Amino acid sequence: MQPFEYYKPKDFDEAFKLLTLPGKMMYPLAGATDLIPHTRDGAWKPDGVVDIKGLPGLRDLKVEGLEPCCGCAPGECLYVGAAVRMNEIAHSALVRSHWDVLAQAAAAMGNEQVRNRATLGGNLGTASPAADSAPALLVLEASVLVKGPEGDRSIPVEKFFAGPKRNVLKKGELIVGILIPKPPVGSVGVYEKLSRRKAGDLAIVGVAVMAYPHASGHRWRVALGAVAPTPIRSPQAEVILNAGHDAAHIDEAAAAAYGCCCPIDDVRASAAYRQMMVVNITRRAIRAVVQQLHP
Amino acid sequence: MHHEITLTINGDLYTVAVQSHHTLLKVLREQLGITSPKVGCENGECGACTVIMNGVAVNSCQVLAVEADGATIETVEGLSKDGNLHPLQTAFIEHNAVQCGFCTPGMLMSAKALLDHNPHPTADEIRHALVGNLCRCTGYTRIVEAIQDVARQGDPT
Ligand SMILES: Cc1cc2nc3c(=O)[nH]c(=O)nc-3n(C[C@H](O)[C@H](O)[C@H](O)COP(=O)(O)OP(=O)(O)OC[C@H]3O[C@@H](n4cnc5c(N)ncnc54)[C@H](O)[C@@H]3O)c2cc1C
Ligand code: FES
Ligand code: FES
Repeated sequence: MQPFEYYKPKDFDEAFKLLTLPGKMMYPLAGATDLIPHTRDGAWKPDGVVDIKGLPGLRDLKVEGLEPCCGCAPGECLYVGAAVRMNEIAHSALVRSHWDVLAQAAAAMGNEQVRNRATLGGNLGTASPAADSAPALLVLEASVLVKGPEGDRSIPVEKFFAGPKRNVLKKGELIVGILIPKPPVGSVGVYEKLSRRKAGDLAIVGVAVMAYPHASGHRWRVALGAVAPTPIRSPQAEVILNAGHDAAHIDEAAAAAYGCCCPIDDVRASAAYRQMMVVNITRRAIRAVVQQLHP
Repeated sequence: MHHEITLTINGDLYTVAVQSHHTLLKVLREQLGITSPKVGCENGECGACTVIMNGVAVNSCQVLAVEADGATIETVEGLSKDGNLHPLQTAFIEHNAVQCGFCTPGMLMSAKALLDHNPHPTADEIRHALVGNLCRCTGYTRIVEAIQDVARQGDPT
C-alpha cells in the first residue's frame, strides 16, 4: 500500500485544517473498510488520512430533538453519529424500537468483522450506489448532518448522492451524524437484499419498503439500491401502493420500480438480470410489509 | 512518519514504532513475530487475518496499526493456557476441522468472539458469525460441528 500520513485530531477546527491542507489529498478515516482496499488497489491515493473517530459526538447513538430538526417533537429523532459501527446499529435496542429497517440494513451488510469496523458515515462517504444503509435511510427520510470549514448544513439523504461513488460533500466537510425522524405510528419497514452469496457481499439489488396507516388506508415509501447511479426512491411505486396493496397493486408497483431503474453490468450481475430482480425483490419486500401490517 | 503505539496483545503490553500506512496485520507478523493471523486477500473478504480487538472480531488487514494504540488484541497465540489447548482448539482437532490450516487461526478467533458474546449459539448463528471466514478445504461442516461441541460443553473461557 502506498505510504500516507495519519492524523487523529481532537476537535473540528484541527480536523478542518488537516482536511484542507493545500495541495494534499486528505481523506477522512472511519472504519477503513473502504479506505484500505481502495488505497491498496490504487483507486484512492491519499497523502494523509484524518481519523475522525475521536471527534466529539461522532460515536453517539441517541434520541434527540436537535436543531435543525425535521419538525417532529423534541426527543423524537434518532441521532446516529457518523462513526457508529454497523454492528452497534444492528444490535441496538433503540434503533430496533422505531427504526428497525436501518438495523436490518446494517445487519445485511458485509460480514461480522466488517460490521465491527464499518461505520454509517463511511457508508455514505463512499456513496456506492449499492450502499446498504441508503435505501433504509431514504424511506426513513433521514438527514445527513454536515460540518465544514464554512459552517454546518443538513442535507436530506435524497439530495446527498451525486452519482456512482460521488456525494455532495465539499472539500473539508465531514458527516457528523445522521438524523432520523421517528416514523409515523404503526409504521412497518423491511429491507430485502439480493446478493451472490446469502451474506457477505454487496447488493445486486437492495430494496427498502415502509408503510404506515393513513386516513382509511396506508402511505408507502419505496427505495432501491444498486440499480441506478445513486440509491433512489420510487415515487411511481409509492403512488400505486398508496391506492391499495392487494396482489394486483403489488405487481403493478413492482413493475413501476422496474421502470425507475437504469442499472449497470458489473462483476456481480448484468444490467438485465438486475432489472428483472428489482421486480422480484420489490415484490418480496412489499409482501413482507403487508404481512406485518395484517398479521 | 513513525508513531509510537502501546497495545496489549494476549495480556502482554507492547510498545512499538509503526508507520502510518502499515496495517495491524503487518505489524503483528513482521515487527512483533505474532504470525497466527495469516495474510490472505488483504481485502476484508477472507478472514484469515481475524483477531479480536477490544472484544470483537476484526480483520487485522483492515486496521491501521496506529489505530490500535491503546487497544487490547487477542490472537491464537494467547488461546492456550499453561500448555493446555483452548477447548476450541481441542474441538477443531477432534472434529478434523483443519485441513491445510490456513483459515484456522481466523476461524478460531471468530468462533471465540462469538462464544464470548453468545455461549450457546445455534448452528445458524455459528454460520452467520463465520460468513467472513473463507475455507477452501473443509466444506465448513466440521468447523460448525466443532464449535457446536464447545458450545455444548458450557462456558468456553
Ligand atoms: C468484505 C467487505 C464487504 C462489504 N460489504 C458491504 C455490503 O454488503 N454493503 C455495503 O454497503 N458496503 C459493504 N462494504 C463496504 C464498506 O464496508 C462500507 O461502505 C462501510 O460502511 C464503509 O465505512 P467505513 O467506516 O469503513 O469507511 P472508511 O473506509 O473509513 O471511509 C469510506 C469513505 O468515506 C469517507 N468518510 C468516512 N467517514 C466520513 C465522514 N464522517 N465524513 C465524510 N467522509 C467520511 C472516507 O474518507 C472514505 O472516502 C464491504 C466492504 C468489505 C471490505
Ligand atoms: S487477509 Fe484480511 S480479510 Fe483476507
Ligand atoms: S483448512 Fe484449508 S482453508 Fe480451511
